[in-house]
Amino acid sequence: MQNKLSFHQSSAILEIIGLPDYSNNENKDQISIISQWKLTIVGKPLIEGKIEHLGPIMDAFYIYSNLLIKNETPIYESKLIDIKADNLYIHNIVLKSSKPNVNPLNIKIGNTSLSDTINCFDQLNESSRVRIKKTVVSNYIPKKGRFGFTNKVKFLNLIMPPFIAIFSIILCSSTIIYFYNPVEDKEKNTLINPE
Amino acid sequence: MRKSYVINNIKLNEFDALIKITVEMSKYLYPYIKEILKSKEDFEENPVIWNDFNKRFIELIQERFNVDSMRVKKLLNQAENEEIIIKSLLILSFCISNQGYQKLKNFLYHF
Repeated sequence: MQNKLSFHQSSAILEIIGLPDYSNNENKDQISIISQWKLTIVGKPLIEGKIEHLGPIMDAFYIYSNLLIKNETPIYESKLIDIKADNLYIHNIVLKSSKPNVNPLNIKIGNTSLSDTINCFDQLNESSRVRIKKTVVSNYIPKKGRFGFTNKVKFLNLIMPPFIAIFSIILCSSTIIYFYNPVEDKEKNTLINPE
Repeated sequence: MRKSYVINNIKLNEFDALIKITVEMSKYLYPYIKEILKSKEDFEENPVIWNDFNKRFIELIQERFNVDSMRVKKLLNQAENEEIIIKSLLILSFCISNQGYQKLKNFLYHF
């Protein structure tokens, strides 16, 4: 008998079907061996697949959501799934089948469905009853945006002291030049050494 | 950006506390955030919620922010503020999980 767990968020439902790993002394209601998963977005075709597809699809959504916030033209492309924004409100998802002669599935979702789907994935990641290889990109930051606030602060801390030192030397030197008169200095020298 | 003559730098623990409050608020307000986003998606059929939100947003900005600042002027310009508002609402809607605090912090640090 397989276990079935559902994660709901308004317009999206994620179902995980699988078995516990008894060799690891797990509870009977745990899921560690996922046999099937289904993602239902209200009004859209059902998305389902094997366990090896779940990770890449979750990663795709997380990466895309980060790109969406940081870039003006967010596009995510992979062998399995492409996601790109038609505009600020519509996102075009293309799911490519691994089987030959199967046409890709095109789905258009809005911002609300996108956030519901991501919240379903968050629930799955946080669930203690499902053990999956944790996705490493849930807080993915694109390389372009990595030079952020903390790095800027570190960079400024590194570069500011030498700059301040150089500027203070220049300022001190320039004020001394005002007081130093080379003609007067020559006269003084001739008075000391009359020859 | 705020309408204030006192410039106070926010402390790290205050910044963390503000993030925690924002995440908790967005959990409660998630249905409303979604309604606003949905109204913008179906603007021709249901423009009321988006228009009300945008109107109140501009009122609050005018009331509390320094309207002489160029960045604030950008927020008040209806042609330019749409993207900022939608992205802000999306960030809030992505951060309602238990990991929301860390997610929002990352978004803000790398924005």
